[in-house]
Amino acid sequence: MDTSVLKVSNVTKRIKKKLIIQDVNFDVKQGEILGFLGPNGSGKTTTLRMIVGLATPTSGNIEICGYSIKKDYVKAMSNVGCIIEGPDLYDYMSGYRNLEILGSMSKGVTKKDIDEAVALVGMEKRIHDKVAVYSMGMKQRIGLAQALIHQPKLLILDEPTNGLDPQGIHEFREIVKSLAKDKGISVLISSHLISEVQLMCDRVSIIDNGRIIRNAAIHEIVATGEVVWTVDDPEKTQSILKDKFAVDSSIDAKNVTASILVERLSEINKALIYSGIEIKYVEHKKRTLEDLFLTLTDKHKIV
Amino acid sequence: MISLTQNEILKILLKKKMLLIFMLLLIFVSLLSYGQKYSYDNTIKKFEAESGGVAYDWKGLTTQRLNDLEERSGNAFIPEEVRASIDREMQQLNYFIENDINPITPTASKFNVQFVEQGITLFIPLLVVILAADLVSSEFSKKTIKILLTRAVPRWKILFSKFLALLIMTTLLVFIIAVSSTLVSYLFFQQWGFSEPIVTGFRLVGDQLNSDSTILISRFQYTLLIYSLLWFVSIIMASITLMISVLVDNSSSAIGILMAALIGGQFLQFFLSEWTVVKYFFVTNLDLTRYLTGSYQPIEGMSLNFSILILSAWAAVALIISFMVFNRKDVIV
Amino acid sequence: MYKKVIWPLLLFISMALAVVFIYGFIASVAVSKSGQSAPIDPQPESSINSPADSDFILGDASEILILGDSIGFGVGDEENLGIGKRYLNLMAEKEEDLKTITNISVPSYESSELVQLIKNAENKASIAKARLIIISIGGNDLNRLDYEDSVSLTLAFKEALGIYKENLAIITQEIRAINPGAQLALIGLYNPYGKEDPEKNNFVLEWNYETSLITDSDVAFAYVPTYELFKYHLNDYLSPDEFHPNSSGYQIIAEELHRILN
Repeated sequence: MDTSVLKVSNVTKRIKKKLIIQDVNFDVKQGEILGFLGPNGSGKTTTLRMIVGLATPTSGNIEICGYSIKKDYVKAMSNVGCIIEGPDLYDYMSGYRNLEILGSMSKGVTKKDIDEAVALVGMEKRIHDKVAVYSMGMKQRIGLAQALIHQPKLLILDEPTNGLDPQGIHEFREIVKSLAKDKGISVLISSHLISEVQLMCDRVSIIDNGRIIRNAAIHEIVATGEVVWTVDDPEKTQSILKDKFAVDSSIDAKNVTASILVERLSEINKALIYSGIEIKYVEHKKRTLEDLFLTLTDKHKIV
Repeated sequence: MISLTQNEILKILLKKKMLLIFMLLLIFVSLLSYGQKYSYDNTIKKFEAESGGVAYDWKGLTTQRLNDLEERSGNAFIPEEVRASIDREMQQLNYFIENDINPITPTASKFNVQFVEQGITLFIPLLVVILAADLVSSEFSKKTIKILLTRAVPRWKILFSKFLALLIMTTLLVFIIAVSSTLVSYLFFQQWGFSEPIVTGFRLVGDQLNSDSTILISRFQYTLLIYSLLWFVSIIMASITLMISVLVDNSSSAIGILMAALIGGQFLQFFLSEWTVVKYFFVTNLDLTRYLTGSYQPIEGMSLNFSILILSAWAAVALIISFMVFNRKDVIV
Repeated sequence: MYKKVIWPLLLFISMALAVVFIYGFIASVAVSKSGQSAPIDPQPESSINSPADSDFILGDASEILILGDSIGFGVGDEENLGIGKRYLNLMAEKEEDLKTITNISVPSYESSELVQLIKNAENKASIAKARLIIISIGGNDLNRLDYEDSVSLTLAFKEALGIYKENLAIITQEIRAINPGAQLALIGLYNPYGKEDPEKNNFVLEWNYETSLITDSDVAFAYVPTYELFKYHLNDYLSPDEFHPNSSGYQIIAEELHRILN
């Protein structure tokens, strides 16, 4: 049973002979928060824009809640709320008017919906002031509110914490997580703050040079660590790792380095000692998403 | 669609575009009225100086002309059309004498029509361009296009609602021009003049101007005709501006391009008689009022119907292009 | 406030206006009833001359058209006849068909204003119908020179003459474009200040000479000299304002015109 709220299939985008996006596939499942990462120029923003209808794919399909963007634009879009590199609101109007106008463009948005969204982002006090006098943080909150007023099933957030202070970033993160947990809203979030993504997301997709280079679950990434054994017999260590645990490793003088699931460390250590290897040091480096990201995208050139 | 259009009009009002336009209009109308009054007073003074201190006796001159005409119409051998033309002129002059009106006095009704006749090729289209140009462009330059387009509304509906809002505001603008030019000039001239008769109904036969079937109508009716033509031209201008504003992402470029076209068109007018392809350009057809006043150099094939056709074609193509481009445009702001 | 009041108001007003304008628009089209682009067959009473036709149109009412300034108008003529009627009276002895006079002169007009007058559509119709067009212009151009001394006078004169010549050429061109077959006549200038200001004579003479060069280049454009006629008869031919001709003056001009054309 396909419970994808968003399905991106074989999407390509060509701009003036250059292939910006090549055969991209990923999806967002019901109730999950997907992190979408990529270095500058990777095609990340373009992909997000194609999902929300701001750009058109050269080929491929994008489906939201089963509705194709091409064929059922209105039905598809009514399930999506988004912030695309905002906040960009009508600054000569009040926050409330902005929401009113945008709300009137979707079916069934009531005053109650608007008020609820305003309360959710904590803007009740200043909602009737002109957007021109808002601080960055306030504008971002309204930006989030406009994405929520029509009760979407999917939130697409592209750099939503632009210009927020650490407090604001923290609050934002909490709001998004509660939306996902309490209301079952799926989220696709793209951000430069990889640490934030790690804290918020269930899974990540990493894009580079227009291609998805990795899909991984956060807990898996964190669960894997890099371990360095300083031993007396590195070659033997390497073959035991390979034969018994199917783990590849590299040797550097007396050091053997390998990526393993951290929970298996004691098992592996036991096996090595059992085989007669003298272990001098075991160093365990916790892996972060940032590490993974940087490693994967290390060799990228500016195209 | 209604609420979409409602939103768009709200945006136009809140951005205070109409206020700016109204200010420009007021200033210009006041300057022109004053100028006319000034030069009229001067003409009277000049005349009186010329005739050696004899006061400007419009009644005498008009009566003399009337006598001339009466004599001519007494001639049994003149053709029907000439007789009709004489009769009309006599009717006009009689009206002036009976109502004690100097026929060359500037009046509010003369002004509001002259304002259109002179302004329809440049100044008034400029006002329309200011109104229309940033309808789409500003959404791109302010980036609000992103929240506008990421809604459950197909793109064409969004552009169409903007177009409807434009039509509504343009119609109101024409009305505002009519009212303000009449009122301001009345302040200067102290004359309404709406019931004065005026001749219209010139035809183009071949490439000559024919005044055989001209008729007399009141200035009030004449004003209505002129402003209706202005309304039509304004809508055409608005449509073309919409297209430019969709093609070009910022308002200043859009305004610049259209100003260049309007001004360039003025120069092209001079080549109308030799370079006939120029008559297919929309700018040379903007002045529909000249067909009513009869004061222009007739060009083969250029009649009111022709100009209306050309303008409509340009607007239709402009709208088609606008919708096509807007629908497919990738938004990268 | 906006939704309930302003918006419905704007919508209603604009729709009502649109209806009015559409009605006016249709009326404008109806009023213009623009003709076909191919010329229709000229009927015998057609008042339009086709450009190719350079013969006089017979069977028409022959028209005399007078264009120009106060002298064309007839200011100063106590008998209120002016050049046109006097000429007509001289002609009536010879021809049977009645002629009618149209006079669209405006006292105080200069040559530039006459150019504008000619471009007016109603006047074009009169021009087209005329068989003889009498033009009197230039006097006001010359009379209004702005100067302080003899040097600026010469400069002002040269400038005014240049402008006048251009205008006269345009006038001739425009008239010919509408009516290639008519006979044109231009009334030359005399010097009304001949007694007090004989130095101005040179200017008038040069003005007239330049004028006659222009009229001479057209095949049917007569120049009617008045300088000599008036020179020694200023007392007899000028009206009390000592500027315009009186009835004798006008008669003399009409006779000169008659002599030249017949």
